[in-house]
Amino acid sequence: MASLVTLENGNEVDFTYLRDLLEVTDGNLGAHLRKLEEAGYIAVNKTFVERKPRTYVSATAEGRKVFQEHVVALEAILKSK
Amino acid sequence: MNVSPTEAEEALAAIQTIAQKTRHTIASGGTHISLIVTGIIWLAGFMSAQFLSGEIVIYLWIGLSLLGSILATGLNIRLSKRVHNLSASATAKRIGLIWLLLAVYCVAAIAVASPLDGKQLTVFIVLFVMLGYLSTGLLLSFSSVWPGLTIIALMLIGYFLFPGIFYLWMAILGGGGMIALGLYIRYRW
Repeated sequence: MASLVTLENGNEVDFTYLRDLLEVTDGNLGAHLRKLEEAGYIAVNKTFVERKPRTYVSATAEGRKVFQEHVVALEAILKSK
Repeated sequence: MNVSPTEAEEALAAIQTIAQKTRHTIASGGTHISLIVTGIIWLAGFMSAQFLSGEIVIYLWIGLSLLGSILATGLNIRLSKRVHNLSASATAKRIGLIWLLLAVYCVAAIAVASPLDGKQLTVFIVLFVMLGYLSTGLLLSFSSVWPGLTIIALMLIGYFLFPGIFYLWMAILGGGGMIALGLYIRYRW
């Protein structure tokens, strides 16, 4: 999620590119993304590029908002230390 | 949320690391290479304009510009396969139209104004190119305008304050600046 919200709003990233970036397996990333998609935090776009299937992932507006709230909450915990 | 300060600190550090890695990897996909290549082209082109004379400078600029355009197109195609914009086709059409109109406007303005020398012609062309860069950059992100504004400012300072070494000024500060920015994005951003 941290990686997806770093992208500019409206940008989506290729699944294999994200997998290599995060250094995780296909299965691991797929499971994470499924949970985030079910929660409405990310959108998955399956398409064809040069006749090859490709999966693109992007953060939704709701996902960006919730992630920002999560970061603010973590910072608040640190400040109250 | 039942999280200890230590866990919060670790989570924030992990978020920071991933965000930085994402920015860095996306930059590695093309932005820094594009800046470095354009910087080298400017460095070589303006150096030749400062120290050489005659038609060779024109041919050198044409050759370098063609090389730069081919490399930039290749890089953009490669990058667009990894990260692409959801409204890319509409944006791409607008960007193409802006550049087309600007090219026509640039030729018309140069024909009417008839710049007196190479320096004026250079400033005209760079101003139009930077206007296109700023306009199209704004369609994609606000942060992309700063390099363009910096180049315009440096060019105008060189043109008005240091006319004798204008091309050298553009080579070192314009071309060198782009190379430095490209290296900064690659290794520090």
